[in-house]
Amino acid sequence: MYELFKDLGAWLVSGDQWGGADGIAQRLAEHLQYSLLATLIAAAIALPVGLLIGHTGRGAFLAINLSSFGRALPTVGLVVLVFLASGLSMWPVYIALVALAVPSIVTNTYAGMTAVDPEVKDAARGQGMRAHQVLFQVELPLALPLIMTGLRLALIQVVATATIAAYVSFGGLGRYVFDGLAQRDLVQVLGGAVLVALVAVVLDLALSGLQRLLFRHRPSTLKSA
Amino acid sequence: MNRRTLLGGLFAAAAVPAVAACSGGITSLDGQGSGGSGGGSSKGGLTIGTANFTENQVLGYLYAAVLEAAGVRTTVRANLGTREILIPALKGGDLDLLPEYQGALLHYLDAKATATEEGAMQNALALALPAGLQILPYGMAEDSDAFAVTRETAEKYGLKSLADLARHDGKLVIGAAPEVKKRQVGAVGLKDVYGVEFKEFKSLDSSGPLVKGALKKGDVDVANLFTTDTDIAANHWVVLTDPKNLVPGQHIVPLIADRKADSTVRKALARLGNVLTTEHLTELNRLVDKDKKDPEDVANDYARRHGLSKKK
Amino acid sequence: MSFDWEWVGSHRDDLATLTVSHLQAALTAVLLGLLISLPLAVLAHRVRPLRGFLLGLSNVLFTIPSIAVFVLLLPVSGLTRTTTVIGLTIYTLVVLLRNTVEGLDSVPQKTKEAAKAMGTRPLRTLLTVELPLALPVIMAGVRIATVMSISLVSVATYIGDGGLGQLFTDGFQRNFPTPVIVGVVLTLLLALVADALLVGVQRLLTPWARTRTRKA
Repeated sequence: MYELFKDLGAWLVSGDQWGGADGIAQRLAEHLQYSLLATLIAAAIALPVGLLIGHTGRGAFLAINLSSFGRALPTVGLVVLVFLASGLSMWPVYIALVALAVPSIVTNTYAGMTAVDPEVKDAARGQGMRAHQVLFQVELPLALPLIMTGLRLALIQVVATATIAAYVSFGGLGRYVFDGLAQRDLVQVLGGAVLVALVAVVLDLALSGLQRLLFRHRPSTLKSA
Repeated sequence: MNRRTLLGGLFAAAAVPAVAACSGGITSLDGQGSGGSGGGSSKGGLTIGTANFTENQVLGYLYAAVLEAAGVRTTVRANLGTREILIPALKGGDLDLLPEYQGALLHYLDAKATATEEGAMQNALALALPAGLQILPYGMAEDSDAFAVTRETAEKYGLKSLADLARHDGKLVIGAAPEVKKRQVGAVGLKDVYGVEFKEFKSLDSSGPLVKGALKKGDVDVANLFTTDTDIAANHWVVLTDPKNLVPGQHIVPLIADRKADSTVRKALARLGNVLTTEHLTELNRLVDKDKKDPEDVANDYARRHGLSKKK
Repeated sequence: MSFDWEWVGSHRDDLATLTVSHLQAALTAVLLGLLISLPLAVLAHRVRPLRGFLLGLSNVLFTIPSIAVFVLLLPVSGLTRTTTVIGLTIYTLVVLLRNTVEGLDSVPQKTKEAAKAMGTRPLRTLLTVELPLALPVIMAGVRIATVMSISLVSVATYIGDGGLGQLFTDGFQRNFPTPVIVGVVLTLLLALVADALLVGVQRLLTPWARTRTRKA
């Protein structure tokens, strides 16, 4: 074990490891690209759905159970299935990652919306606010902390799972994991895993920092859970 | 690409048990193996491991079929991964028997190996194997590594042999399974022997959907395929010749743990080796890959038709 | 993409074997996860500094790709079922530890004090008061861990195990969608059925919660 970590140190700081078309810098950039793009696409799909369900109350069953369904969906199977349908392309990677991220975002957005105190909504309506004004000026800001939690959860899952891109011939940090497996080079596997975990932790800290910056002075109007 | 000599086969068949007897007598991994000419016993049954491509699974089930017919209980663990994963598992005792390929196995054990003739390779293998493992006589069937290009690429760059690749240093992309990047019969040997520098090595799979898809799409210029892959002929791909014999003979050879190698196993596998030809193997691969038959059914059916087993 | 019903018909035995093997790996991992996380959670609940450390550690574990965990276990437990189960257990711990700690936290201080005032010993309080009251939150964790494990088993196909996941690599290598579709559907079904059964178990274990909801 000790040897493995010593070799990992050497692997991580070696200059040749970082440069070039298959260097760590390139793999890191690819991994970020897959993860961020997939999470953005997922957010674009899931946020409106979650907001709508939360606002209207219709489809609550879907919103609650979607995250369970998302957890149950085997990513390897989905990737292979899309690969067989689409051939050698980025589709399998993005579809699988988006499918993984959507449920967490929908469920948390919905939870955030339902946690808004109904009295606050009533008061807003009482002041003559229209439905869309209530949604965007009252409910959405109050639901944001939980929405952010959903986004952070989705992003962490996507970063860890984007490893799968390497299984269908693409890059990202998963390259080290899959190549290391084939070559039985555990240092490479560990290196890939550590880098993935680092990316996930850094992105999560960045998002939580952003969240704190945005909601510093907001009084809590959520129902006490 | 590789000569198959009857003499070499006879020589190897005679030489190997002698060498194996020595190694079997000295050490055995789990201490169960006794000395003597056989070394081990297959009484408790044995576990066959197979690599992550179709043909190896077919071979694993063929081994199982003939061993079962000889009264040996077998378990086949299919699709486990690469040689780099399988051999440590064989040493560690999780597996007992692997269908292997002479040249590739030799280069895995000894990257500097120079033997290319079947009999010589068999001897080199016996010497290079770690204690506790032995090879049995190799069979007639052979599946070699091919480096292939599309007809268009061959015409565009004037490619006929692996030596021609060096004229296009830094321009061509090669696609192969990840482990081939570090193998002598792969990127390492292509550089050492032919002086080829590729623009990029793309990690794909073992003559599977990724490498063939990438060759078709033009994502890679050169693809590492198996000579028993019927897609080579079907797509009119050009297999580059190997004037400097980088790719060694790849006859199929059983690799077994001493503790399980007894005369029953030896005889059963030798019979299979003398019946199964390269053409047969190619056809069995096609039945699995194209007709979507199960490797197990295909193997059992073959063994029955060739009188190697009576099992359905 | 065509679906080959005939293949399904002729592989019913294989599919049953894979399904059983799949479920066995997932459930063993959840049980092991529970056995390990319960004492750890009680410890984390009582000892504040440990709590941050344990929960932080389990959060970091969650960010490591599962396939890497399986591969890194190869030198320890080889190409065996044990590797699969250890790998899965690590992931169940992440969920189970957090939920069990939160469950224990949710028990009102007054309830614990009342038990103490009645002279109940700490261990007895834990077993008869705290854990039963924490059960709904713990069970929520068990449900998540079970569904997650069932889905994750298939990743172990890269190290030659993986239950129904073997259908994915097989279909991939042979450009054969049928086994892949069957594998995905069976995995989803297993997860849904297991989840539903756990809801039932939870109702049986917490009869007081039922009456409360009925009144509300």
